[in-house]
Amino acid sequence: MSVMAEQSGSDTIIKIVGRFDFNVHQEFRNAYEGADGDFVVDMSQTDYIDSSALGMLLLLREHAGGDKASIKITHTNEEIKKILTISNFQTMFNIE
Amino acid sequence: MSTQGSVESELDDFDNKALSILVVDDDRTNRLVLNALLSKEGYKISEAADGQQAVDSCLETTPDLILMDVMMPVMDGYEATRQIKAMEVDAFIPIIFLTALTDDESLAACVTAGGDDFLSKPFNRIILQAKIRAMLRLKHSYSVQLQQKKMLSNHAKQEEQEQLVAKKLFSNVVHTGSLESPNIKYIISPMSIFNGDMLLAAYSPSGSLFVMLGDFTGHGLKAAIGALPVSEIFYGMVAKGYSIGDIVFEINARLKKILPTGLFCAGSLVEFDPEYQSISIWSGGVPDTIVFHPEEGIRMKIEPKNVPLGILEPNTFNRSVQMYPLKEDDRIYLYSDGVIEAENAAGGMFGQSRLDQCFDKDSDPDFLFETVLGSLSDFVDGKSQTDDTTCIEILCNASHDQNETEEWKSKSRSKIPLGWDIALDLNADALKEVDPLPIITQTIMEIQGIIEHRERIYTVLAELFSNALDHGILGLDSKLKQSAEGFAQYYTQREENLNNLTDGFVKIHIRHDAVDNKGQLTIHIQDSGKGFEYQDQNTDMSHNTGHSGRGIPLIKTLCREFEYCGNGNEVTAIYEWEYKN
Repeated sequence: MSVMAEQSGSDTIIKIVGRFDFNVHQEFRNAYEGADGDFVVDMSQTDYIDSSALGMLLLLREHAGGDKASIKITHTNEEIKKILTISNFQTMFNIE
Repeated sequence: MSTQGSVESELDDFDNKALSILVVDDDRTNRLVLNALLSKEGYKISEAADGQQAVDSCLETTPDLILMDVMMPVMDGYEATRQIKAMEVDAFIPIIFLTALTDDESLAACVTAGGDDFLSKPFNRIILQAKIRAMLRLKHSYSVQLQQKKMLSNHAKQEEQEQLVAKKLFSNVVHTGSLESPNIKYIISPMSIFNGDMLLAAYSPSGSLFVMLGDFTGHGLKAAIGALPVSEIFYGMVAKGYSIGDIVFEINARLKKILPTGLFCAGSLVEFDPEYQSISIWSGGVPDTIVFHPEEGIRMKIEPKNVPLGILEPNTFNRSVQMYPLKEDDRIYLYSDGVIEAENAAGGMFGQSRLDQCFDKDSDPDFLFETVLGSLSDFVDGKSQTDDTTCIEILCNASHDQNETEEWKSKSRSKIPLGWDIALDLNADALKEVDPLPIITQTIMEIQGIIEHRERIYTVLAELFSNALDHGILGLDSKLKQSAEGFAQYYTQREENLNNLTDGFVKIHIRHDAVDNKGQLTIHIQDSGKGFEYQDQNTDMSHNTGHSGRGIPLIKTLCREFEYCGNGNEVTAIYEWEYKN
C-alpha cells in the first residue's frame, strides 16, 4: 500500500510512500475521490516525484474546486521541492 | 482473457470438430484396429505404412496428431518424426509413439527424435484415448497462443507503420523552421514527437530569432496532439511579429482548452534580438536556462518563473516576460529535463552539477555543445537512451546570418512613425487600484503597430514605473532585494506602505516623434517623492546585482538615451525603433 488516506477533522490527509509516479495514479485517485473539504498531501515518506505526479496533483486540485481549492503539500524534501518550484506549483498549492 | 468457463466451452467446440489423426504402422492389422477405435470417437483417420509415406502425407495435408510406430521398413519412426518436426512451420503436430519396445533407451529415443509422448504396445485403449485428448488439448492452447502472438505482431507492425505515417504528417506541421541557422546547434530525438519533446525556431519580421522548447507530460499520441496547435500558433504568430508574451498567452489558452487536466506542456520561449542585443524569456517547468560567456563561464542561470503551459485559465495566466541584456559571444542553452535525468546502467542520474561542469570557461566555446553531448553519452555509457534528450545552443552574435530575415521585412505590421503624445497622472488612490502599464503599452501598440517591440517597451515602462512608485513614493530600499529573505520582506513592506498611502502622484508622459526613418518614443516619469543623489546612479551601476539585477543596466541597453533629472524624482528614457517598410 503506497498511498494512504486518513481523515483529520475536515482535512483529508493523503500520504504517499516511496515513488510518486504513474504507477500509483489509481491509488492516489481512490484516496481523494469521495472526499471533500481541505486536503493535505504528506510527502514525508515520498522519495521521488515525476511529471505525472504533478499531473495527479492538478487532478486533485480540480477535484477540490480548482482555484478555490485548499491543498497543502507538506514535508517535501529538497529534491521534491525543487521539482515543484520549477513548475511554480507554489502559486497553486500551499507547499511546506 | 476469457474466464474459466469459456475456456472449457472453447475446448468443447474444439473436440467436436472432426480432428484428423494420421496412423503410421507397417502392420495392417494394427492400423485397422486403431482406425476402427478412433473413427468411433469421431476422428478422421488417415494411414501410412512406413515413415516415408508418413512424411509424404504430411507434406500434402498436415494432420492434427500422429500415432507413430518405431520399427518400420523404408524409414523408421524416429527419422520420420525428425523430418516431420523439421518441416512444421507454425503448427504444432503432436506425435505419440506406439511401440512394442519397452527398454528405457528406446523410449527415451522417441522423445529425443521429437516425439511428444509414447505408449507401449499392447496399449490400453482408455489410456490411449486419454493421451490423444491431452495432446490435442495442448495443441489447441498452442494454436490459440500462436494466433495471439501473430495478432500482436501484426498489431505492432501496423502501429509502427502508422507511427511512420503520423511522423511524416506531424513533421509537416511541427517542422524545424529555422533550426538549421548557422548560429544554432541542437539535438532532438527523431521520434521526439512521440516522446512529447518539441523544438521550434523562426525569425520574426524585425529579425529577432524566436526559439521554443516544449516538453509535454506523457508520451505517444496524447503528447503529439498538443504539439500540433503549439507549432501552428508559434510559426503563425512569430511570422506576424507578435511578441513572446502574446505567443505564450495564446498557446496556453489553446492547450488549456484541449488538454485534459493533468496533462501539460513545460516549456521555454526565447527571443534573441540581435539589434538590441537582448533576450526575452518566458519559461515554466523546465530546468534553468544557461547563459554562457567564454570569458566568464556560466554568466547567468535563468530560473523558470511560471506555471507550465496548459494548466492555468487565461485570466490567471502570467504572460510577463523576463528580459536580459546580452554580451557579444554569449551562448544560450535550453534543454529538457531528460538531460538532467538521463540515467546510466547503475541507475544514477546525470544531474545538474555534471552539466554545469561542462561549461568551463577554459573550454573551446565552439565545441561546448559537443562537450555537453559527449559528457552525457560518456555518463549513460551504452545504456541506449538518449531519446528524451533535447538540447539547443544559440550563439548570440549580432553578426549572425541575416539573409533569412530579409524576406520577412516587408511583412512588418508597424505603421509609419507618427507624432503624438499621451499623459497619465495617477494620484494615491489611483496608484492603489490601477496598473497603468498594460493600458499605456496597449495604446502605443494601437497607434504605431510596433508589436515586435512590445516586450521591450513594456520592460522599460515597468522598470521606470516601479522605481518611481517603490523607491520614489513608497521609500523602499532596493538593497533589501539583494538577499532572498530581504526580497520577501521587500514585498511585504511594499504592500503595507501602499495600503497606507494617502498622498502622492506619478505622472507618466509618453511622446512619440518621427525622426528620419525612425520612431522615437520618449518616456518621462515624474514622482512626488523627494528624489535622490543621482549623480552616482547615472554612472555607477555596480551595486545593481542579484535579485534586483536587471533594472537600470537593462534600460540602458534597450534605450538610446536615459537620464535622471530634477531632484532625481524625474527620469527620461528614449526608445528608438526603425521603420522597415
